[in-house]
Amino acid sequence: MLKKDLEMLVALQDLDLMIEEADDVEKLGFNITGCSELKNAREELAGRLSKPLLFRYERLRSKLKRAIVPVKNDICLGCFLRQPTSIGTKGREDDEIFTCENCGRMLYWID
Amino acid sequence: MQGSELQKYFHEPLFIADIKATTKNDAIEELLNLFLETKHIRNRQIVLEMLHTRETLGSTGIGKGVAIPHGRTTAASDVLIAFGKSEAGIDFDAIDGKPVHLFFMVIAPPHDEDNVYLPILGSLVTTLNIKKNRDKLKKVETFKEFLSVITGE
Repeated sequence: MLKKDLEMLVALQDLDLMIEEADDVEKLGFNITGCSELKNAREELAGRLSKPLLFRYERLRSKLKRAIVPVKNDICLGCFLRQPTSIGTKGREDDEIFTCENCGRMLYWID
Repeated sequence: MQGSELQKYFHEPLFIADIKATTKNDAIEELLNLFLETKHIRNRQIVLEMLHTRETLGSTGIGKGVAIPHGRTTAASDVLIAFGKSEAGIDFDAIDGKPVHLFFMVIAPPHDEDNVYLPILGSLVTTLNIKKNRDKLKKVETFKEFLSVITGE
């Protein structure tokens, strides 16, 4: 899996979160009219990912709610456990996608 | 969530008393740049894309001269709010069609431990529904003045 794929997954998850919370946000007083457009955009983006990768993402999301989580100061912000420093160095630079050894979520380094 | 609880999500480097932007897109970018300059966000493109996508869901210009562009993104680790003010007002496709003077950009991670994202949005909407607060915010020049309106002091 390439980092390009991870960035697409991040965009997909951001979209999924937006769709998931659209009703709650509308109740707060926001104008929500484009849900169907957003769902179409979501399907289009999902179609650009390989089937195994999409399956992995969907499975993690159904099990853990968030499939990809940020890592900051070597902490997985999904389970809040520290990641080995060696993974942090590779995670920022390598093309490989790393997962949290504790919770299994895909990791996205933001620092 | 009370105004006093909101204040910890605001920081002086995320405050602009006079937004330079004159268009909706530029206003979004100007506020987003604050998060980048303060290193709260590293990947500009991902967050910008999320904010634009959010606008396709429905403008975050909620009327009465207020816009609250917001969203959760995997590229953020903390819930933070940037504030900007435009005296001239900016066309933001607001629901009432009126120009926007007060901008609150709320960026949150995919999940926040204390689950404060929606309560923050709700609290902002409640605070900004009060005309007296909007009028005061339109006049603030410093971060200190701004916080005193938000906290209701």
